[in-house]
Amino acid sequence: MYLIKNGTVHIGNGEVIENCDVLTEGKLIRKVGCHLPEEGAEVIDATGCHVFPGFIDPVSSIGAMGIPSRYPDNNERTDPVVPEMNLRYSIDPDEVNAQEFYKSGITTVGLSAASNNLMGGQIAVCKTAPQRMGKRLVKEHAGLKCSVTSSVKSTFGSKDQLPMTRMGAFHLFKETLRAARAEEAEKRTTKQKAIIEVFDELKMPVFCAAQSKGEIDGLLHMMKDEKVQLNIVDAFDFAGSVEELKKQNVGLVIGNVNNCSQIAKYGMDLSKVVDLVENGNLIAFTNTNGGYSEGREVFLWTAIELYRAGVAAEDIVKMMCLYPAQMLGIEDRVGTLEEGKEADLSVFTGHPVTTYAASVAHSMVNGEVLF
Amino acid sequence: MKKTLIHGGILCTMAGENDIFTGDVLVEDGKISQVAPAITAEDAEVIDATDYYVMPGLIDAHTHIGLFDFNSDKSVDDANEMTDPVSAAMDARYSFNIKARELKVAYEHGITTMLFTPGSGDVFCGQPFVAKTYGDNIFDMTVKAPAAVKIALGGNPKNTFGDLNRLPMTRMGVAHVLWETFRKAKEYLDKKEKGEKQDYDANMEAIIPALRGEIPCKIHCTQYDMLTAIEVAKAYGVRFSLEHAWGASDYLEEIVESGCDICYGPIATYRAPGERRRVDVEAVKMLDDRGVNVAIITDSPILSEESLYHHMGEAVREGLAQERVIRMVTINPATQLGLEDRLGSLEAGKDADIILVKGKLGLDTDARVHLTMINGQVVYQR
Repeated sequence: MYLIKNGTVHIGNGEVIENCDVLTEGKLIRKVGCHLPEEGAEVIDATGCHVFPGFIDPVSSIGAMGIPSRYPDNNERTDPVVPEMNLRYSIDPDEVNAQEFYKSGITTVGLSAASNNLMGGQIAVCKTAPQRMGKRLVKEHAGLKCSVTSSVKSTFGSKDQLPMTRMGAFHLFKETLRAARAEEAEKRTTKQKAIIEVFDELKMPVFCAAQSKGEIDGLLHMMKDEKVQLNIVDAFDFAGSVEELKKQNVGLVIGNVNNCSQIAKYGMDLSKVVDLVENGNLIAFTNTNGGYSEGREVFLWTAIELYRAGVAAEDIVKMMCLYPAQMLGIEDRVGTLEEGKEADLSVFTGHPVTTYAASVAHSMVNGEVLF
Repeated sequence: MKKTLIHGGILCTMAGENDIFTGDVLVEDGKISQVAPAITAEDAEVIDATDYYVMPGLIDAHTHIGLFDFNSDKSVDDANEMTDPVSAAMDARYSFNIKARELKVAYEHGITTMLFTPGSGDVFCGQPFVAKTYGDNIFDMTVKAPAAVKIALGGNPKNTFGDLNRLPMTRMGVAHVLWETFRKAKEYLDKKEKGEKQDYDANMEAIIPALRGEIPCKIHCTQYDMLTAIEVAKAYGVRFSLEHAWGASDYLEEIVESGCDICYGPIATYRAPGERRRVDVEAVKMLDDRGVNVAIITDSPILSEESLYHHMGEAVREGLAQERVIRMVTINPATQLGLEDRLGSLEAGKDADIILVKGKLGLDTDARVHLTMINGQVVYQR
């Protein structure tokens, strides 16, 4: 049992409680409230500190790349359509450990395929802390990672193979979907079964990378009558398509905006996120751009860019906690500091969205104190 | 003669100790003419700086803006010649895209001067130059060219020439090219000084200013490659800075002893065995405590120019004082580049590159530049 005492507790859903305690027991949070009894608990003093739920990066590549190896383990670029691939088999715990994610407050990552395939594989969610692998996995089949970015056409077009163009990419995506649906159930291939599970049986949401307005508008058009929940990954040029995004209630996983100067390239207006939040769209962000992850630090940098653009700090906290948990369908276990949820939390010396003088003083994953 | 008085701001002059006080800055003809607690200048146009921090324009001492061009869908690499490991004579000004959108981002964020450098695809990569960030002709904007000899160790040149099945394919191959080239350049210089006849060699000519101590070598290296850089640079007595310098905390003694400068950054990389093994922004404070001149760099546009703030912030997160981190993007890089007579502080006689900032850069995440002046001209106002 641990009692994290007297901190400014950010529940993760926008609510903030001053002088608040968090009591954990085993793997779980037992109680959140003021002046909780100390009996039997080891006390961690959080006076003057901010306590946050572990942050969640829903679409990370790093941790599943298998560095060093000739071929990254999250990039099965032998076929543009590989929806049956399960990222769980590519997780490299040592690679996850090497990132020291928890030093930036990130305790959960959705390990994803890169953005080279139209359908690249199924996201596996795991904790970032150095514990036994068996205890780390949160969920497999958490989402289907897709892509309609220029990475797909450069991957296959360079081999004189469909798709070489954006229209080729959308054609192949639609045709693949149509063919899977047209096939008799018992004759469906493994690929087709996976596609039906996602698009018709709605067993997991879609996370599809799209960066430019052309890619985003094409994707929204193609998906407008689909029932599966769509989340657009990277989405740098989203601001010009806000009305359609609102109408279709699409989620956004904003890519690493500081990588290769995306804000300048797309003239990004991050303040438009406020519109989407008010509409109820889920927003999250990731260390990844174009299927390539950078270091843990850039997660907070994107949070700061949103804050600089005028998004409220506690709305941004939701984007790091509750929203990505909801996107991945793991909000019953992580994403907020509430009774019964898993005890993943960080004690920051300041509010990392509003000041750089905010470092992680204590980190806890699955109720175990890392430092 | 145009006069501008920046009145009543909190001056962070970067000049000596006690460099923060409320006061005025007088600008005449593009230069700072006076800095004092109170200045009377009745004929001057007044900029009210009450509640703003007034600082020298920021300097990013290692960028590739306009050379790596991400402005179109297919990115353009005009930063790496990569046809010969010794490409020292390449003048980066001729690769520059003056329409690069990142320049606007730079001066809107208060970054008024940059060193633009060739990439790291060769061992001797070419000639960086220093320029202001506002203007429509890079040759007019240039402050100093050439500003350094750009050298690269490690994976970049190795991969370039290894892929072509040419020397250098290995780290020892890179070291060999480095030793041999400096040896030849020294011989070339000796002959030249003695007036002996020899064939003109543009690459050797480009290295001479470094051998004469007129410009520094900027050496891309990380982790244990630093030892190679220090060994060779010391042997030829050149001034040098280690660029990127991931893993510097493992080589503190060697760095301090060598007297070299450090350009630290960018830090946003995943960690992996080899060059990315240790990315230790905490080294910035350790080096500063030991008296090493440290500049913080972005490598933009690989990382965005606005990430200069985040890089400063990460050093502060690791315990560096905000007052120190500001020096790492002003007077420190100015001194590294031998431009401390013109740039890097608010002192009479220097270029009037001045910014007005609300909040503390490197500490408050929403600190924001409200006005940027370059050469006495207001180029941005919020």
